[in-house]
Amino acid sequence: MRSLLIRLYPARWRARYGDEFEAILEERPLGPFDVADILLGALDAQLRLRGQRASSEHERGFRMTLRIGGFAAILGASLIVIVIALTGGHTEGSENANTIALLVALAALLVALTGMSAFQARTNPWLVWTAFAVTAVGTVVIFIAGVSDLAGAGPRDWRDGPLPIGVVTAALGSAAFGIATFRASVLSRKGALSLVIGPAVGFIGAIAVGQDLWALGMSLVLVGIVSFLAGWFTLGVAAIRLDRTSALKPA
Amino acid sequence: MEPKTPEFGRFAEPSLLILVSLSDGPKHGYAIMQDVESGTGRPMGAGTLYAALVRLEEQGLVEPLTPIDRRRPYRLTAIGASNLAEQLRGLSEFAQQGLRQLGENQP
Repeated sequence: MRSLLIRLYPARWRARYGDEFEAILEERPLGPFDVADILLGALDAQLRLRGQRASSEHERGFRMTLRIGGFAAILGASLIVIVIALTGGHTEGSENANTIALLVALAALLVALTGMSAFQARTNPWLVWTAFAVTAVGTVVIFIAGVSDLAGAGPRDWRDGPLPIGVVTAALGSAAFGIATFRASVLSRKGALSLVIGPAVGFIGAIAVGQDLWALGMSLVLVGIVSFLAGWFTLGVAAIRLDRTSALKPA
Repeated sequence: MEPKTPEFGRFAEPSLLILVSLSDGPKHGYAIMQDVESGTGRPMGAGTLYAALVRLEEQGLVEPLTPIDRRRPYRLTAIGASNLAEQLRGLSEFAQQGLRQLGENQP
C-alpha cells in the first residue's frame, strides 16, 4: 500500500524524496487520515509540478485536517436530521430524494471518519479501517438502493430493499469508529460513547418492533437515532474546536 | 510590492510549525511530525509535511543533510532562522495588540 501511494507522486518528486518519504510511512500504521493526506499531497505535487512550468505565483495546496472531518460530521448528521424532520420517518412518496440525501449524508460521514481518525489509527488501525470499510459498504449499498429506485426497479416497500441493510451497516461502521475514538481518548469520549450506544439501542428497538412491542421499540429506535446523531455532532464540534484552539499552543 | 515572507499558500501554517520544530536543531521528517503533533495537539500527515518541506527547501529556508538509514534530517538555514524570527515577532506583536485591546475593553 505504501509503495502504491508513493507511486502517485511525480517521478521527479519520487527521485528526490521517495526513499525518505517511504521511511516515514513505515514509522507508524497508516489510517484513513494518513492515506487521504498522502493522496492530497500527491495531487498537490502533480499540480504544482505542472503549475511551476506556467506560473508559480499562487501556490495552492490541499491537506487533510481535523476541521474537514469536523465540518463533514456536522453536515452528515444535519442532513440526516433534515431528512427525518421532513419525512417524519416515513419515506413513502419521496424515496428518491430521501435516498439521495441519505447517500450524501453517509458520504459526508465517511469524510468525517477519515478527517477525525488520525490519532485513533495510531493505536487501533484495524478498528479504524474496519469502521471505514463497513461505513463505505453501507454507503455503496444505499447507492445501489438509490439507483434501483431511480430506475424504477426498487421494491414497493423500502423496508424490503437494500436501504435498511445500508443504514444498519453504516451505523455499525460508525459504532466501530466510536469504539476506536473512545479507546484512544481523543476528541470527545462522550461523543464516542454516544456513537456506540446509538446503533446498539436502535438495534434493540428494531427487535422490539419485530416482536410487536411497537411503542417501546419505536421509542428505543428514536433514542438510538438521537444518540447516533448527537455522537457525530459532538465529535464534529470537538474536532473543529481542537483544530482552532490548539495551533501554536505553548509547549 | 514583494511579500515580506515567501508565499506558501495553504501550507503557510504547517511551514511555520516545521520551522519552529527545526529551531532547536536538525530533525528528520518523522521527528518533525511528532514534534508538531505534541506541540499543537493536531495531527500532521506525511503528505502535508512533505508538501510544506519541499516549499521550504525551494525557498532556501531549510536544507537537507546527509540521510541516516534513509531518514534525512533537515535543518534551518540562516535565511530560515531570520524568516522564522520575523514571523514570530509579527505574531507576538499581533498577540500583544490583541491583549492590549482586550485589557482596554474589559470592565
